[in-house]
Amino acid sequence: MKRYLFLLALLMSLAAPLSAHHSTAMYEMANPTTISGTVKRFEWTNPHAFIYLDVKDEKGNVVEWEIELMSLNHLRSYGWIRTTVKPGDQITCTGGRAKSGAPSMISALLKLPDGRELKS
Amino acid sequence: MITMKTYLLGVLCVLSGGALSAQQQPPAGESPYRIAGRLPVRIMDFKVEPATIDAGQSVTLSWATENPTSVTIDPLGRVAPRGQQKLTPSVTTTYTLSVTGASNSSDKRTVTVVVKGTKPGASPADANSRVPKAVPRTADGHPDLSGVYGYGAGGRGGPPPAPGALPTTPVLKPGAEKFKVARAADDTGQYSTCMPPGIPQSFSVPYYIQIVQAPKHIVIAHEYLNLHRIIPTDGRSHPPDPDPSWMGNAVGRWEGDTLVIDSIGYNDKTEINGYRHTESLHVVERISRPEVNTLQYEATIEDPNVFAGPWVMKRTFPLLPEYDSINEFVCENNRDYKPLFGK
Repeated sequence: MKRYLFLLALLMSLAAPLSAHHSTAMYEMANPTTISGTVKRFEWTNPHAFIYLDVKDEKGNVVEWEIELMSLNHLRSYGWIRTTVKPGDQITCTGGRAKSGAPSMISALLKLPDGRELKS
Repeated sequence: MITMKTYLLGVLCVLSGGALSAQQQPPAGESPYRIAGRLPVRIMDFKVEPATIDAGQSVTLSWATENPTSVTIDPLGRVAPRGQQKLTPSVTTTYTLSVTGASNSSDKRTVTVVVKGTKPGASPADANSRVPKAVPRTADGHPDLSGVYGYGAGGRGGPPPAPGALPTTPVLKPGAEKFKVARAADDTGQYSTCMPPGIPQSFSVPYYIQIVQAPKHIVIAHEYLNLHRIIPTDGRSHPPDPDPSWMGNAVGRWEGDTLVIDSIGYNDKTEINGYRHTESLHVVERISRPEVNTLQYEATIEDPNVFAGPWVMKRTFPLLPEYDSINEFVCENNRDYKPLFGK
C-alpha cells in the first residue's frame, strides 16, 4: 500500500508542469473536470491569467466560473497572445476544480471555438 | 474484487466533491497536465509580405504556432512561437518554418520571396546570425555572458558530490531544526506570496533570465517579479554593514573565464531549498559560459547559524537566441487560495 501510494505520488509529480508560482494542492488534479461555457472576461495578467466563464448548471442556471491559467511566460511559449480568448467565445476547459466545491478551477488545456486545443 | 487502483480512484473521486452532472468528464486518475502534454504542435500561419520585390526592398515574414517545443525558420535559426521579422533578401529565397511538439508531432511550411531578376539562392543577410560560433568576448577579454537564458535544470539532489567536494544538499547545524520549513496543508508555497525569492532561489523558478554585461557592471535581470541586480565588477568591496535586503549586496570579480559574485546583506525572509536562513547568509556564485549555448551556475551557500557547513547548488541554463529581452512581470493578479481548499 505504502509503495503503491509512493508510486502514485511519483507519477502525479511527473505529470505536473513546471511549478510556476504556487502549488496546485487546492485543486483536485487527480480527478479532472471539464466544463464548457461562454467567456465573459479574459484577464491577461501575471502571476496568472484568468478567464471568467458563464457555465449553465444542470438546472439551466448560469454560474460564473473562475478559470486559472498559467503565467504569461508559459502561455506565450504555448503560442498564446492576449486575444487568443475573447469575450463571447464558447470554450471548453479541462483541469482541476477547487476542493472547496467553489466554481473555480485551474485549466491545463482548453478547446477554442474552432476546435483547436491549446495548453493553458 | 476491488483492486487497489479502483479503491484509490474511488477515494480520489469522493475527495473531489462530486462531478458536474451537466458536463462531460475526462477519465479520472490522469493529470490534466499529462493530457495537455500530449497536444500536437501546429502551424497557424506563415506568410511573407510582399511576396515579390525589387532588389534592395524589404519584406515582412510573420508566423504563428501553437503547442510547440521547438520552432525554427531556415535559414534564420530558432525563433519564438509567434513573431515577425523584417528581411531584405538579395536573391529569391525560400524560408522554411519547422515546428516540433509533443507525441512526435511536427509540421513544416515554406514561403518564397521572389527578388526580381535573381535566381533562387541563399541571401548572405539571412545567414543565422543569432548564435555566434564561439563564446563572444568583450573588449577587455572576458567572456561575454550577455543573453536571454531559459528555464534552468538541476539544483536539488543530483549526483553525489565528488570526494572532497562540498555537499549538494544542506545539512542543518545541531540545534538549528527550527530553520527547516514545515508547511501547513493549505500553504501554497514560498512563491505564492509574490515576495522576492532572493538568491539563489531566483535562479530556481521557471522564468527566463537576462544578463547584460558592461565594462564595470553586470546586470542580472530575472523575469520573475522583475527582480534585478546591478553588480559592480570594478574591484570594489561590500559597503560596511549593508542594510538587509531581499536580493543582498553583491560585488563581482573575474577568476579566469568565471564571473564570481560574492553577496551578503540579505534579510531573513527567504527560503533556500526548504530552509530559512538568518541575516548572516553568505552566497558565492560562479557563473560561466562553457560553450555558446549554455550558462553554468553554481552557488555556494553558507549561514553559520543554520547549516553545518557550506553547500553547493548547481544549475545550467540554455541560451535562448530567439529572444532579445525578457518580459515584464508584475504580480498584479495574485489570489488568496486558502478558501479554495475547503474544510
